[in-house]
Amino acid sequence: MKHRAMSVAIVVAVLTALSGERAGSQEFKPSRQIEAVVHTGPGGGSDLLARAIAEMLQKEKLISQRMQVVNKSGGGSAVAMSYLAEKKGDPHTIGFFTGVWVTNPLTTTEATVSVKDLTPIVRLMLEPAVIAVKADSPYKNMKDFIEAAKKSPNQLRQSGGSITGRDNLMRLLIQKATGTQWTYISFPSGGERLSNLLGGHVHMMVIEPQEAGEQIRAGNLRVIAALTEKRLPSMPNVPTIKEQGIDVTIIPQARGVVAPPAASKDVVQYYEGVFDRFAKSASWKQYVEQNQFEEGYLKGPPLSKFFDELTVLMRDVLKEAGAKVVR
Amino acid sequence: MGTVVGVLPGLGPAATIAMLLPLTLKMDHTTAIIALAGIFYGARYGGSTTSILLNIPGESSSVVTCLDGYQLARKGRAGAALGISAIASFVAGTIGVLGLMLIAPPLARFALRFAPPEYFALMVLGLVMVVFLAGESMVKALLAMFVGLWIATIGTDLFSGESRFTFGQAKLLGGVDFIAATVGIFAIAEVLVNLESRGAAELFKLAKGLRNLLPTLQDIKDCRFAFLNGSLIGFFVGALPGAGATVASFLSYGLEKAVSRHPEKFGTGVIEGVAAPEGANNADASGALVPLLTLGIPGGNTTAILLGGLILWGYRPGPLLIQEHPELFWGLVASMYVGNVLLLILNLPLVPLFAQILRLPYYVLYPLILGISIVGVYSVNNSLFDVWVMGLFGLLGYLMRKLEFPAAALILGMVLGDSLERALRQSLMMSQGDIAILVTRPISGVLLAIAALVLCLPLVRKVRYWRVEAIEREG
Repeated sequence: MKHRAMSVAIVVAVLTALSGERAGSQEFKPSRQIEAVVHTGPGGGSDLLARAIAEMLQKEKLISQRMQVVNKSGGGSAVAMSYLAEKKGDPHTIGFFTGVWVTNPLTTTEATVSVKDLTPIVRLMLEPAVIAVKADSPYKNMKDFIEAAKKSPNQLRQSGGSITGRDNLMRLLIQKATGTQWTYISFPSGGERLSNLLGGHVHMMVIEPQEAGEQIRAGNLRVIAALTEKRLPSMPNVPTIKEQGIDVTIIPQARGVVAPPAASKDVVQYYEGVFDRFAKSASWKQYVEQNQFEEGYLKGPPLSKFFDELTVLMRDVLKEAGAKVVR
Repeated sequence: MGTVVGVLPGLGPAATIAMLLPLTLKMDHTTAIIALAGIFYGARYGGSTTSILLNIPGESSSVVTCLDGYQLARKGRAGAALGISAIASFVAGTIGVLGLMLIAPPLARFALRFAPPEYFALMVLGLVMVVFLAGESMVKALLAMFVGLWIATIGTDLFSGESRFTFGQAKLLGGVDFIAATVGIFAIAEVLVNLESRGAAELFKLAKGLRNLLPTLQDIKDCRFAFLNGSLIGFFVGALPGAGATVASFLSYGLEKAVSRHPEKFGTGVIEGVAAPEGANNADASGALVPLLTLGIPGGNTTAILLGGLILWGYRPGPLLIQEHPELFWGLVASMYVGNVLLLILNLPLVPLFAQILRLPYYVLYPLILGISIVGVYSVNNSLFDVWVMGLFGLLGYLMRKLEFPAAALILGMVLGDSLERALRQSLMMSQGDIAILVTRPISGVLLAIAALVLCLPLVRKVRYWRVEAIEREG
């Protein structure tokens, strides 16, 4: 009897311990406001996206706490990334990454935090790009442009952002593939890039379809190639660059969410769950369509693999482009 | 609402509009954009308040207002300065709306003709304004300006991706924050200088009676030209996607001083020195709406957020927006007329109230200035580093005051340095290194010629002065 009582006691004790254990690993729920770190100032691409997502998460009732966008601009993405690194293990902070988060640490000595140091959560989407020229320009397709560039090397001009940006890297790849050269002029804001194209001061620009769409409709711009693997649904008549016989790697511009380093498993699970549901929501579908993004939802090991491959690809492209690669 | 935002340093219109964007989703769309645009131009009204009263520029575009505004406050004419800035903003706002209504599409087309060489010429024109910011010594002004130009080079170089003068500090990759530096140089240095003289109780003369708290008719008459000058420069510069309100305010201040009959008094508290830049930075807000509404091109951060808002509300901002949604455009124009009148009505009675701040004894006022400065600078980027930058620039400002270097020249260099260098390098890329591109294009050629003339102006004055002296001696 005694023996039995004791074994019951042990079983009870073990059960209590187990249930206690279960209580300890209860799934994570944010208990206060969530900070969403972006690397641009108010009005930048990441900032606008993060604010729109915060709004949609609330509208779709997917998070119980408010999401507050925090602007940590400066140094490409270095300031935002080192801020996230300082928040190691904090479950109430996330960051919105873009391709810069991969390239910036490769080219900038001071940018010591790499995207591998952070915890990947999800990739939300891909931003496609197209090559646009002025509507009254003589270039009707890539062939026209490449021929003109061959005839007068370095005389054609492209407006774009920083030299490590996707627009310049695509230029370098196309130049290499076709044996041509043209000039790349950096402008800090998208507005200046576009107004220099519309004013006829540069000959072409790599632009996002949404930004180009209205200018095309008004008869100001013409798109001569899509920098995508498949034709864009919104521009079914525009052939991709590969269709036009120029075989180049398409550099993806991805956007998504990361957490600070050493995020625990339940925290990762929580955010994955939130964004799983979010990516299927009507608000997000509509937003993707309005802005003419490509869906590109990824999480878990495929996302880590994506970061690894992108890092290798970017390092190669940057080196090939003659940029200084520091790590 | 906009005024409040403007009064608080650090909380710029861009951040506010971004924060309020979600709220507007529930409003009617036209109402929503009207509300946000109201904040955008309303903030320009309020930005001057702390500049005039406390020597703290609330936004980068109200730096120039500090020069004469704060001196006026010290002379007991804070009310007049605040009043004139409200009136200048009203006049400029009204002229801006008229411009937006009447000439937006052709102006936008004209602005498209501005490529890097034209921007370079515009920045050079701005830079030669240093001639007018110089006090006693031109050499000191030039030195200060060059230090400013150097500070502007700190950070990541756009063209090569190299970091310059960052000393391995990731926090310097984005450059020295402009607000932090100016608040340091103006406000912190002011506190330091005044701490020295222990008996600084009589810091501000205070006018008695309500009549002295508002600008007089004579003030308004003196400012007639300043209103117009500020409005036109502001509106035009605002319509250029690559310039900005700060450039506009410096240009209009310089022009005002150039044509003034008493240029030597600028910087000691003349009312036109407040009216011109305040007009300019208000008209700039209407100007900035020109490329946004006619072409769908945002000129700066704030207009980029408005653009994002337009997309979020289901509009398709672009060249066809006005045609397809006339109700949006005209609703905005109408609201800006009403908004400007309302802002004037709201702001004028507040003037005497704000001016009361100066009655505070210095042992309350100085900690207050320090407090506002620290909170304001911190909140721009949520960065403690910026607060340290502010402190450092405070010391620099203090030393400059002691050695009689004009701080405004340093600020001018900082404001223009970045754009100047960028425009020059872009121009040379366009021309494959041929420097002639800067003078052979008509617009940039004319602007550079004007700049050369401005540079010669003090020389002409001096020669004339010598001749008058010589004639008098002979007589």
